[in-house]
Amino acid sequence: MVDGMTHRPLTLAWFAVFAVALGLCAYQILRLLPLASGQSFDLDSILLFNSVLPRAVVALLSGAALGLSGALLQQILRNPIADPSTLGISAGAQFAMTAATLFAPALMDTSREAVALVGGLTVAIMLMALSWRRGLEPITIVLAGMVVSLIAMALSATLILAHGEYMMSLLIWGSGSLTQQGWGPAQALAVTLLFSSVACFLLIRPLELLGLADASARSLGVNLPALRLATLAVAVWLATTVTAEVGVLGFVGLAAPTLARLGGARTQRDTLVAAPLIGAVILWLTDGLVQLAAHGSAEMVPTGAATALLGGPLLLYLLPRLNLSRQAPVSGQPAPTRRIAYPAPVLAVLTLLVVAMTTLALLVGRGPDGWNLATGQLLTDLLPFRAPRIAAAAAAGGMLAAAGMILQRMTGNPLASPEVLGVSAGAGIGLAAVLFTVSNAPMGTRLAGATLGVGVVLGALLFVANRQDRNPERLLLGGLAVGALCNALVSAAMITGDVRAFQLLAWLSGSTNHITRGEATIAVTVAAFLLGLLPLMVRWLEIMPLGPDQARAIGLPVRASRGALTLVAAGLTAASSLVVGPLSFVGLVAPHMAWLIGFGRARHQAMAAVLIGAGLMIGADWLSRIVTFPYQVPLGLFASLIGGPYLIWLLHRNR
Amino acid sequence: MPMHPASRHNAFTVSRRRFLGAAIGSSLAGGVRARPRQRVAVLDWAMFETLLALDVTPVAATELVQFRKVAVEPDVPSHVADLGLRGSPNFEMLRLSDPDLIVSSHWFSWIQDRLETIAPVASYAVYEPGRPPYAPAEQITMALGERLGREVQARSSLDAASLELAQASRRLAERTARSVFLINLGDARHFRAFGHDSMFGDVLQRLGLRNAWAKPTSYAAAAPVPLEALAEMPEAWIVIVSPIPPDAHGTLRDSPLWKALPAVRQGRVVALPPVNPFGALPAARRFARLLTGALVGAGGGVG
Repeated sequence: MVDGMTHRPLTLAWFAVFAVALGLCAYQILRLLPLASGQSFDLDSILLFNSVLPRAVVALLSGAALGLSGALLQQILRNPIADPSTLGISAGAQFAMTAATLFAPALMDTSREAVALVGGLTVAIMLMALSWRRGLEPITIVLAGMVVSLIAMALSATLILAHGEYMMSLLIWGSGSLTQQGWGPAQALAVTLLFSSVACFLLIRPLELLGLADASARSLGVNLPALRLATLAVAVWLATTVTAEVGVLGFVGLAAPTLARLGGARTQRDTLVAAPLIGAVILWLTDGLVQLAAHGSAEMVPTGAATALLGGPLLLYLLPRLNLSRQAPVSGQPAPTRRIAYPAPVLAVLTLLVVAMTTLALLVGRGPDGWNLATGQLLTDLLPFRAPRIAAAAAAGGMLAAAGMILQRMTGNPLASPEVLGVSAGAGIGLAAVLFTVSNAPMGTRLAGATLGVGVVLGALLFVANRQDRNPERLLLGGLAVGALCNALVSAAMITGDVRAFQLLAWLSGSTNHITRGEATIAVTVAAFLLGLLPLMVRWLEIMPLGPDQARAIGLPVRASRGALTLVAAGLTAASSLVVGPLSFVGLVAPHMAWLIGFGRARHQAMAAVLIGAGLMIGADWLSRIVTFPYQVPLGLFASLIGGPYLIWLLHRNR
Repeated sequence: MPMHPASRHNAFTVSRRRFLGAAIGSSLAGGVRARPRQRVAVLDWAMFETLLALDVTPVAATELVQFRKVAVEPDVPSHVADLGLRGSPNFEMLRLSDPDLIVSSHWFSWIQDRLETIAPVASYAVYEPGRPPYAPAEQITMALGERLGREVQARSSLDAASLELAQASRRLAERTARSVFLINLGDARHFRAFGHDSMFGDVLQRLGLRNAWAKPTSYAAAAPVPLEALAEMPEAWIVIVSPIPPDAHGTLRDSPLWKALPAVRQGRVVALPPVNPFGALPAARRFARLLTGALVGAGGGVG
């Protein structure tokens, strides 16, 4: 464990990292100086003063801003996985910029920072409006943040898909590039960072009290909502300015405060000073390596992808050494108003609803001549296209719901969902690898590649899971790191902007359009097999939320059962993400809905969640097919738009 | 739905339908419209504009909203049904538009099995990594012409394209000394560079100009490249193919680095209207015409 003895070497290590980053930057500068005789300095001096130097400054400032933003967010929400990306602030800012690019181009030309700030603030205000009555309770705000984030991401992807010509531009912002052609962004970042630092200096004493439990802090006379509001505003401003100037650099805000705590930062004051410094050094080093690698090659790795590339494995390595118990405990899952006494009739109603939804999706559609109710010959014609996607959507929805329920019960963390595991993002890596190495890859090769990607991510996760006997949050953190890494790699693959990128984007936003009968059969078979294993595991799921000690006392083989559950959850996630892409909002929502309806026991919650998941996905797939016919909106969008508001409403009701 | 064995794997194999079409087409050459019902659906934009150039109006094509904006020509008749995004073509719409031939490209080979359940598929490839695409575009124009009984139109389409390129080449003969960057602006700070295996790059070479982007490309273009890479060839022209994203206007106006580039200082930058970057002969002609007009019209940097 980190203690006083290791403090000094770790500080020295950071100085070493700083020295390497400085060396890389000096190399870039020296390349341009007129050292060789006869070398012209005209053009090189332009590059030095308008590109290389501002880039170094922007790297340092962005890293510091993100580190500070992440430290503030983690402190006020008391959640070690809170950062601008998990809360949806970056996604909100990016969505605002995407929308502005397409619908109000003049705004993007003149006031990009303001657009991003409006997007980020809108998300933050929504989060607070949703959780205000609960006194901005941390767990609600993070849960709502992830919902909003997924909706914003789905909407952004939809807008990009519907306007192919701007794709390259939007994807570069998405993956974060530090290229500079002047001092404008550096100035904007410096101003933001300066004002935010002053605000932090004023907030630092009350913030230290926030580490205490809510009641203790309140009794000390701290106005909690006002303090959280002010801090949130500062954090949002920092994050959206970075998003506006250089794009999304997802990992830094999460890693910097974590590394600061690992390096021995014990108090709030320490963390708030160390996190920006560490963020700055990480980003500067990463960017130096990116420039070194890009020299002489046509392809440029965006720095946003590279931070995840370096940071993801680093966090995985550090996780076993992270003492999570130092965090003040978060409140538990929202409780249902009452338990259902007789689950069978309610389950029957849910089944009927799923059947009705399936019938609707099979028969109602649109064609060149408007709406149609497919019967007879028309149905025979359309069935080969409709039936597979409906079956695959239902299978995927059920599998995601089951995976989400397993994860939530196993980790005791209501935020756990297949997407957090990062397994679905692993499928994207595999798919990207196949698309970019094999030209005209057939579906079988794509499936093989995606399965391999899932397997690699699964292996990494199991490695983490084996070492996380005491704290289930490590699994989530590990999954999050792996997921960020995979998503960044997929973004990097997509910015080449050619047709393969378009296919990746279509997969990423979850399209069931291309599902064949063979694939649907595979999906249904896998779903039947894996869901069939669930009844054997419900007892574990019943006991696990009680905690490992209780479980052991009852006689549960904790390690073995947890390993088996992880494997099943990952398998469910992998199979479903191959079918409908990685946007697995249903995996978060369906178990919650089942729980909030009043299915308390694991057995009933599992059945209800699978039914709800399947129904949601069928409905979402139908909407994605007909709303903008003949253009097809991503399935993930409608899954979010159906499930998100419902979940938020339920959270609101069950206060 | 019966499958055409001949059209399943090789579009160049003679099928009965094509043979019949060719026979009728040649016997009625002279503009008579009494050909058999010919309902062609098309997924790929290069094939789409080739079909339009052959006077074949497809019953359905992909992403018409974008095509009208980015490719601009040839004109798309309003009764062509829209099949949705190229990344996820709408199978139901395709089925309901009832084609008897689907013209596709290797970019859609991953859904070819499904397409074949709707109608026979003719698949061609204009773009392959490392291969200049103009000659393949010519071959495919001829192949499609033969398949659809439009050899005459195919031949005249080829001739018109060569003629237009030859004329453009003569007009540009004075301006071949400097090489040319062919770029799309991606955002305020990055561009996409078209290489020798892009249609723009191939046409540039056929016009007697040199491509300033000699580095490798990935499928015709390299992206994203930071703007400062343009400084590596200070003598070159910079040709920007539209559309220009909104946030890039600020760069072109204010960026110190952009304004300091020799090409910008000396007025050797031209912006062209939109051209389909993954097109066939019609896109090549449009590009040659627009490029020539812009370079001849631009004042800066003689020679």
